[in-house]
Formats: sequence, structure tokens, C-alpha cells
Amino acid sequence: MNTVLIIDDSDINLTLIKALVNKLGECNPVLFDNPLKALEWCREHVPDLVIVDYMMPDMDGLKFISAFRALHGRNEIPVLMVTANDQKDVRYDALLGGANDFLTKPIDRIEFSARARNMLSLRQGQRFLADRAEHLAELVEERTSEIRDREKELIFRMSRAAEFRDPETGAHIQRMAHYSQIIALGYGLDAKAQKLILEAAPMHDVGKIGIPDIILLKPGKLTTEEFEIMKGHARLGYELLKESRSETIRAGAEVAISHHEKYDGSGYPNGLVGKKIPVFGRIVAVADVFDALTSERPYKKAWSMEDACKFLEDGRGTHFDPLCVEAFLAGWDQVLDISQRFKDEAAPKI
Amino acid sequence: MLDAFVLDRAAILDRLGGDAEIYTMMLEMFLQDVDANCETLGAALAAGETAVLQREAHTVKGLLATFSDDDGAAEAFAIEQNVKRGELSGLNDAVAGLQARLREVAGVLKAELENAG
Repeated sequence: MNTVLIIDDSDINLTLIKALVNKLGECNPVLFDNPLKALEWCREHVPDLVIVDYMMPDMDGLKFISAFRALHGRNEIPVLMVTANDQKDVRYDALLGGANDFLTKPIDRIEFSARARNMLSLRQGQRFLADRAEHLAELVEERTSEIRDREKELIFRMSRAAEFRDPETGAHIQRMAHYSQIIALGYGLDAKAQKLILEAAPMHDVGKIGIPDIILLKPGKLTTEEFEIMKGHARLGYELLKESRSETIRAGAEVAISHHEKYDGSGYPNGLVGKKIPVFGRIVAVADVFDALTSERPYKKAWSMEDACKFLEDGRGTHFDPLCVEAFLAGWDQVLDISQRFKDEAAPKI
Repeated sequence: MLDAFVLDRAAILDRLGGDAEIYTMMLEMFLQDVDANCETLGAALAAGETAVLQREAHTVKGLLATFSDDDGAAEAFAIEQNVKRGELSGLNDAVAGLQARLREVAGVLKAELENAG
């Protein structure tokens, strides 16, 4: 049903146009003899066609069209202006002011029907395009969401591929990623950054893919040379991820290269100090170490939560950014919840 | 002096797509409004309200054209244009003439309506 707004200060014209609109079929005429009241109505309603007389008291048709067009979302609505044949100058002004077409007085039904139908077809076309654009936007969003989900899954699986090569588990990745998100929240990062670190943190050790098994899987203590090679995983992870077009994977590159840096500059690979260490690296350092300490490994028992907390507190300002430790401890209830939610499963078989 | 108004039913009906229902409705509405149109013209002239007079002459022009009264519409148009240009001399006679034309047309339309009824 098309809503046709008719504005004319003459009752006889209003009635005539209303009758002609009804003859068009599937139209609901809305009548106003006062353009100011019509404009008020237009603030709350969107007509499909406007038919407006030129000469009216209070506000003429030109001014009405101009005010109507200024309303949000009314720029494309078809407008027919009713004028006398002799008002050529008015017609020019109306065209410039936003009228789409004219009706000549006295109104002729054949002409009226043809012009009104043309305008309603135009409106139908506009609605079709708008619906199609909306539908396409929904489709794009749907497909983009699928791609994002796939990207997240691939990141998780890639991260797990690295973890498969040492005793850490998928649950470790989940926990340290969620701990990182809690710290980001407490640190004051915005929602987008919190989400980004949740998705990027699992990639922190992806560079272990490039570390020889003899070193990575060595049960005993590493020699100095072996440890130097092992430290290379930070840079390897960065090299692997750094040129991605994905913001998440680029964030993963930053996490990979900076999560072993220490606040006092004694970390690796670049020996960065304090705030020179990227914030994602400072955050992941706390989350990763805490989870490593509280997890059981073939070469060590799991630390208690309290002992691990103390380790973080003792490392404030030396190993860790004090603000990150503070943010982690401030989210302690959530930390406990996450440690319960993501329990270690049986060690994966290679 | 204008020629007497002759109702051209066929021309009006043709313009209305042969719709007798709308035709009858328009006759009724003209008759309903004509006194107010005459009164507005006279009051605007007496009060020197040129904007109102110009607008009402414009409205009357449209009304008369609707009933194919080209002569009456031309008279209304002349008033509208004169007022617009600020040429106010001779307006008393012109407005009185237009009022008379409106009443004449109303008489013919009333008879038409009665015959149709």
C-alpha cells in the first residue's frame, strides 16, 4: 500500500485529488489543507508520493518542498507539484527546489494517473534498491562473519600446531588468551583491543614450529647454546606472522616478538624496557607465565595459584609491567573462573 | 462583459476520465464553497489585503478552469496578475465581476446537479 500525501488549501482540489488517488489502487491518501501541519506529519511518517499545490497560505509549495527535502531520509521521495500552465517560472524554481514532476490545473485524470503511476514506480524502484542493498549488506556481514570465524579457528589450530610440539595443551592457549583479555580490560584498553588480544594471544609461541625437536622436546635443562636457539622462537613467530593482511595476525606477530621481553630490559629478543615493550607483549607476558606456573609439566609440578600470584607480585617492575599485574589481580574472580572452565585434557599424541 | 457560462459536461467528464462520480462530487463541492470564495474576495479587497486577494483569485482561477470556464478563469487570472504587479486601480469592478461570474457558474452547476438528481 502506497501512502500518498496530498497538500492543497482548496477543499475541492483535495477531494478531487483524493478521488483520483483512490482510483490508482493500492494507495492510501493522507490529506492536509495546511502545509505546516503536513510538514509536522512528515517528521513522523514517510510518504511514498507527495502531491503539493503551489499557491497556499502560510507556506507555498516551493517552501514546502524545500523543508520536506531537508528532513532526514526524505530526499528521494517523489514529489509532484500542482501548478497552473502559466506559472513557468514557478516550475523552474520547483525543479531546482526538488520537485520531480508537475500536474497542471485543471487536473486531467489521464495525465494525473500517468504521472502519479510514474512517480510511484520510481518509489517502488527506490524501495527495491534499498531492500536489495540491505539484503546484500546482510549477506556480506554473514559471509564476513564466516570468514572471521574461519580465521579465528585457523589461528587457534595454527597455535595448537606449535603447542603440539611441546607439552603445553590447547587449554593453556585458551586460558592464557582469556587471562590476557582480563588484563586488557583492567588496564583500560577498549573493547576492540580486548577482543583483539583474546584472538592474538594464542599465537605467542607459534615460532616454536621452527625450533628443532631435539631442543624443543629436550626433557632436561637446556644448555646456553640450546637456550639461545630456543629464544629464537619469538623472532620466528614474528617473521611468520608480521606481513599478514589480518589485523589479528599482525597483532599475533607483535605478541610473538614481545611476550618474552621483561619490564627491566632483561628479556629477549630485543631487551626492550618498560613502556617500550608493546602493551600486548606486556599483557601476554603476565598471562603466559601465570598459566605456565600453575600448569603441570613433565618436568615440574603445578604451582598453587597463591604461589603463582606471589611470583607475579615479586616480579612487578622487574619482569612484569606493574599495571598489568595489578589488572590481573583485580580480575581474580574471573581468573579462577577461567582456570576452571578450561581444564587440561590428555596430552596430544604426535 | 463575459459571455454567458455554458457548461461543457463532455469536456469536464473527459478530463475526469469519464468518472461521473467524481464529476458529481466536484459540482457539490463547488456549490458548497462558492459563497466563501465570494466572501473572501470581497473581504480581502475591502481590507486591502493584497496577498489574500491574489491567492484567492488564484484559487478561483483554478476552480473555474476545473469547470472549463476559460473566460471566468481568465478574469480571475487578470486580477491575480494585476494585484501581483501592484496595479490596484479598477479592482473593485473586476472583483465584483468575478464574484458575479462565480454565482452565475454556481447557478448553472446547481441546475445541472438537480437535473442529474
